[in-house]
Amino acid sequence: MKHLFSFLFILFAFSLSAQDVNLDEGKALFRNNCASCHNKSMKDDMTGPALGGVEERWESQELLYAWIRNSQAVIATGDPYAVGLYNEWNKSVMTAFPNLTDGEIASVLGYIDGVYKGTYGGTVAGAAGGAAMDDADDSKESGLSTPFFIVLFLILGILAVALARIISNLNRMAQIKEGATPSQVATIKDILTSKGVIGFVVFVAVIIGGFATVNNAISLGRQQGYAPDQPIKFSHALHAGQQQINCQYCHDGARRSKHSVIPATNTCMNCHKAIKKGSEHGTAELSKIYASIGYDPTTDKYIEDYDEMSNEEIKPIFVKYAKETFLKDKASEPRYANSESKLERDASKEAEEQWENIEKSLMNPSKESVSGAIEWVRIHNLPDHVYFNHAQHVTVGKLACQTCHGPVEKMEVVQQYAPLSMGWCINCHRQTEVQFASNEYYDQYETYHKELKAGKRENVTVEDIGGLECQKCHY
Amino acid sequence: MDKKNQDIWVGMAHKNNDPALIEAAGKEFVELPIIEALGDEKIAEVETNRRDFLKYLGFGLGAATVAASCDVPVKRAIPYVTKPDEIVPGVATYYASSFVKGGDYCSVLVKTREGRPIKIEGNVLSPLTNGGTSARAQASVLELYDVNRNKMSGSIGENGAITGMSWTDLDKAVMAKLNAGSKIRIVTNTVLSPTTKKVFADFQAKYPNAKVVTYDPISSSAILEANEQSFGDRILPDYHFDKADTIISFGADFLGTWISPIEYATAYAKGRKINAKRPKMSRHIQIESGMSLTGSNADNRVLIKPSEMGAAIATLYSAMGGSVSAPKLNAKASKAMNKLATQLRGSRGKSIVVSSSNNVQEQIMVNKINEMLGNLGTTVTFTHGSLQRQGIDKDIQNLITEMQGGGVDAVLVMDANPAFDLPNSDKFITAFAKVPLKVSLSYDINETMALCDYIAPTHHYLESWGDAEPKRGHYSIVQPTIKPLFPTRQAEASLLTWAGSANYKADAEQPYYDYLRNNWNNTLFGSQSNYASFRSFWDETLHDGVAKAGAPAREYTSCAASVNGGQISQPSNSEMEIDFQESVNMGAGQYANNPWLMEMPDPVTRTSWGNYLGVPVKFDGAHTFEGYKGIGSNMVKGYADVVNLTQTGAEESTPITAFPQFGQPEGTVATSLGYGRKVCGDAGRNIGTNMFPYLSIDQNGNTQYYATNVEVSDIVDINYDFPCVQYHHTLGVTAQNEDGETINADEAALVDFTYGVVDQGFQGSLTERSVIYTTNIKDLSENIDKIEKKREEAQHLNAQTLYPGHEYLYENGHHWGMYVDLNACTGCSACTVACMAENNVPVVGAKEVSRHHEMTWLRIDRYFYGDAENPNTAYQPMMCQHCDNAPCENVCPVAATNHSSEGLNQMAYNRCVGTRYCANNCPYKVRRFNWMDYTTADIFPANQLDLNEESVPYGADNLTRMVLNPDVTVRSRGVIEKCSFCVQRIQEGKLTAKREMRKLRDQDVKTACQTACPTGAIVFGDMNNKKGALNKALDNNPLAYIALEEINVQSSVRYTAVVNNRDESLDA
Repeated sequence: MKHLFSFLFILFAFSLSAQDVNLDEGKALFRNNCASCHNKSMKDDMTGPALGGVEERWESQELLYAWIRNSQAVIATGDPYAVGLYNEWNKSVMTAFPNLTDGEIASVLGYIDGVYKGTYGGTVAGAAGGAAMDDADDSKESGLSTPFFIVLFLILGILAVALARIISNLNRMAQIKEGATPSQVATIKDILTSKGVIGFVVFVAVIIGGFATVNNAISLGRQQGYAPDQPIKFSHALHAGQQQINCQYCHDGARRSKHSVIPATNTCMNCHKAIKKGSEHGTAELSKIYASIGYDPTTDKYIEDYDEMSNEEIKPIFVKYAKETFLKDKASEPRYANSESKLERDASKEAEEQWENIEKSLMNPSKESVSGAIEWVRIHNLPDHVYFNHAQHVTVGKLACQTCHGPVEKMEVVQQYAPLSMGWCINCHRQTEVQFASNEYYDQYETYHKELKAGKRENVTVEDIGGLECQKCHY
Repeated sequence: MDKKNQDIWVGMAHKNNDPALIEAAGKEFVELPIIEALGDEKIAEVETNRRDFLKYLGFGLGAATVAASCDVPVKRAIPYVTKPDEIVPGVATYYASSFVKGGDYCSVLVKTREGRPIKIEGNVLSPLTNGGTSARAQASVLELYDVNRNKMSGSIGENGAITGMSWTDLDKAVMAKLNAGSKIRIVTNTVLSPTTKKVFADFQAKYPNAKVVTYDPISSSAILEANEQSFGDRILPDYHFDKADTIISFGADFLGTWISPIEYATAYAKGRKINAKRPKMSRHIQIESGMSLTGSNADNRVLIKPSEMGAAIATLYSAMGGSVSAPKLNAKASKAMNKLATQLRGSRGKSIVVSSSNNVQEQIMVNKINEMLGNLGTTVTFTHGSLQRQGIDKDIQNLITEMQGGGVDAVLVMDANPAFDLPNSDKFITAFAKVPLKVSLSYDINETMALCDYIAPTHHYLESWGDAEPKRGHYSIVQPTIKPLFPTRQAEASLLTWAGSANYKADAEQPYYDYLRNNWNNTLFGSQSNYASFRSFWDETLHDGVAKAGAPAREYTSCAASVNGGQISQPSNSEMEIDFQESVNMGAGQYANNPWLMEMPDPVTRTSWGNYLGVPVKFDGAHTFEGYKGIGSNMVKGYADVVNLTQTGAEESTPITAFPQFGQPEGTVATSLGYGRKVCGDAGRNIGTNMFPYLSIDQNGNTQYYATNVEVSDIVDINYDFPCVQYHHTLGVTAQNEDGETINADEAALVDFTYGVVDQGFQGSLTERSVIYTTNIKDLSENIDKIEKKREEAQHLNAQTLYPGHEYLYENGHHWGMYVDLNACTGCSACTVACMAENNVPVVGAKEVSRHHEMTWLRIDRYFYGDAENPNTAYQPMMCQHCDNAPCENVCPVAATNHSSEGLNQMAYNRCVGTRYCANNCPYKVRRFNWMDYTTADIFPANQLDLNEESVPYGADNLTRMVLNPDVTVRSRGVIEKCSFCVQRIQEGKLTAKREMRKLRDQDVKTACQTACPTGAIVFGDMNNKKGALNKALDNNPLAYIALEEINVQSSVRYTAVVNNRDESLDA
């Protein structure tokens, strides 16, 4: 019945937009555009809502398509569902996709529905054009197969016990028939404590234990998902995502050095000399930059001999700034309407708290004042014996930062996205094609060029030019 | 002593077919019980039983589990606050500067990473050094991070203890003791800086009675005086060794230490590199006693006693027609001088005669000879006369007298060390004590500083502003590459402060920079014509590091002086004489606290960590030296006899380790100066023996670097820790067995010993090994045929390869290779130090070296060949040969060493488990094992053994670690390491080409040894680049060969056959 329904639905989808719906295309589009915010199970929320049944939720198809192309425009029209959705999701803005065609959107929606209803990847999906059986993430398949195997295993186990029983009985009967004294019937306990069974159990335990130990040992010291608190609540989602600042504006080493380089405080000042108040934290976080470099936000001047000042001398500058900003911003709020003393009190309290936070973030036991470098917590740590060069990957390999660092532009707090294990590196080197034709450097690989020309070779991967050799990364 | 081992040998035992050497060479990597191998007697006393072992094992496992299961420690990433524009973290920045120490000079580029200097490279823009460097220049970066340097200003107490004083207090204290009439003496070694001389002038303006006393511990005082008499100009000539067909050197070690060795070596090599099609090379005759680096490179060495030097010069002079009655010279040398005179007449204007003699009359004769030969103005010129030695020995002697008489009010010692490096330093010390104010302006701790009242510590040259004029008209800039690490102050700044000079604005941001710049603006800018504005002149000079500014051309072609035969040094009748040499590593002792130079083996004697007495091989006294102590006994250590060296009549004698040295004339012994420092940093303190007290002073006040009337006693002791690397890592050693058959002595041939089943001629037991090919230039074509035949045979044997798949890869992309021109290699060892600096090679100390544990990735093997009495020498830089059929790779049980598609033999340290099979199987013996945690890179401090009786091994403290190259892993204990062809530079060069989207060029990738080499003996490159320098050097080069080609390892390094131009008739 369910299958029939899906089938009908897909037929319907086909009829809706002729031959444009292609679920595989939809899958590719989903992965490229949607998967960083929307859960691919379609049933759970992630950064954005679960997409299963999205078409049913929207009033009209046109509106949904418009929303996908540019959600902010729909919100601007004042559509109640759109506005409600926007508010429900903490006003996080959905990336606009103005270039998607109707056909492409239909494909994505078709794929979403297929996954949601469990039809995609099954028989019907096969019928719906181009089998896509390689989806390893497909939860449906693994969900079905595990209990199935357990049941199979149990049945076979029972069968084995029954057969053993029958053999033992037959043996016994044969012995009786031959006139020998029949041996004792082995009880279950005898069987379970027999050498064979114990040996087998121990063997299995050692194998499983060993496997688990090795697996866990390999991941020791790896920090995938590591997302420590940083001295400044810097949001990549805001800077790289919303404001669309190019990664290499701040990480300017990536194109020319082994290090991508954590930007110096003076790089922050390029913008924050003008933008002195954050959208999220007000003055609290930005003051830390000023406290590090010695910039007085009240007078808009760098402070002379800042590195020789003590914390006691520095404190009034930032307390004053925080307090004044608080007073200016909050004075109009209704709760302070008739209570200037309360306003004053809260402003002082806030300023004091901000200063404490600055001190906490910028001080360490070897520093005498808050002046000096901001000590970020390093997230991506490679062992000392590994040589990694950003320029090689960014400039020569033309890789996007996100390939290894994940959707940083969506991260409020940066986390380690990739495992940074050797296996991970090697895998990528095996699969990645070299920018062979466009870079004259590779002209030296004459054999490969001949082979490519003769059609004997489809591509040249990093592995082919020695990318798996020890001393490419270890020296 | 006939020629048994092919025709090359490394030392006595090799030459004599010593059975112990044969056994040792065969079992160099023999497995000793671990306690013996570590040589720690304390460990040997500890009894470890099975229970202890299990306890430790259990604890270790538990500890590792606990340690590993804890969270990874929080690491910080600390950016700049304000990033300097020129720094990109992770990318090296280079600054042009000049290495100047006394008269030693080298124009350099300083490689800095994140603001810290880590490596010295040569400056190709310099017309003097042409991008070449010396071992001393290469090692100078380590001195910056010397833990023992003077770190604070202060007063010096009784035992040399420093009580800190602020600079203001120090200035007040010093100036309080000075007045306008004070007789101040500034004692210094050669000053190359014109601006420093301006500082002296400013100082003298305030203190008119102040005088500068310049002396050089190893001086060219006599040349200066002779030239003053000959030409009226107190200057050293500009020698052109490249323009001379015949080079005659009376004891001058111009390739190693004499005046300007980098410049001379570059020029010398031009005349020595051989083009097989048009074979032509200069002939170099060295007249000397102890074998110097230059002597070892000579075609002929004429052996004399040190006291016969004057007689030898006079004999040549009179044979050329000079009017002098030559003192008696030994018959052989006398004959040789007469023959030389005849030959020289034939090469007028194309010869050069130099001498390091410190006797004025002898130097005048040298000038006369050069005049007769028409060399003045051609090979010996004065337009750009050298200023690299300016010291006059008399001046410092006069100062001693003056101080003794109480006529000196204050002495300021500027980085000189007269309390150590004068022949009569005892007199200096007593006289010095009478001076009321003694201030040391010294960078490091030294003997003289300990006697002073105040210390005004100075910057390292990498922290200083300055300039240099090494030759007239050639200027060079010293610019800082790091902020001073300690509160030190430039000596010039101190002098200007004390003089209260109006030209010096002490409160400026960089006062001495302003002073320097002003001085250039006022003097040099006007004398050049290339730049219209001072700004562009200055900026270009800072960028290039060097500048030419017009100096009035002065040329002399006739020598006005006449020879006073009475003052020529007379040969002595004493039975034993001793020759003192400046060693390439130590100089006169000013480099003593540099562990890189200490550990670098002397190129000729192959000894390190000390000076030892070279005795003639036929010496009938003490001469047992073995590079090993028999395998059967408990240690694999070098040992040699210790003798007492006594000056006749003296009460005290000096115990010193003696070893036989080829080419040492009978009746003489030799050793080097500069060792035996008593007040010095940790690395140099009490290492070796101080020989300065043996020196004498002639009637002109000039120091003589030899002594007559010495006695060498019988064996008094045995030195069991003799750090001589002569017999370490030998290759291709052949010997004769009891039946008189030639056999292989090294372990590659053990199959033959052990099983006796392998046929003669099969690779492992091949006895004719191609290690070095030597030939005289007149037999060249004959020998080229021989080499060709030998190579054909070898290639026939090598028809098979172990890795057939690799050829395909090698033809594609890069295939790295190297070519070493052994005719250009002088053995100067700049490359070995450059390699240590580039690749973070640890220093292991004397004891470890004596046990074959030195870690150098690049060693220079020295072979003697030819006449056993007076042999020729060949140097062979030996590094990993990156064999395409590498024998080390297929014995590694964990594949820690394997091959890359670019032909590199790779070493993955983290995979290495330390079986050392690879080292055993390496025919070139280039793999090194980290027996100890030399770098304290190990995680568990318990593994860090007490090395060299130091609490922290050399280079393991945080200050010295700043010199490490961040692109190269610091290896920990228990792994093998070896030359990587500077893979970090290869990768960097490839990346540059890729980023610029172009093909790789030769200059993108240069190895550290290649850039360090002053003679261009090393060429590195891509063998697949048909137009590259490497293929250019190898194409149709019949002299190129592969070492041990017959064993089919298919190495990527090519050497050249050694060609000499020996004139046999001079030997008769």
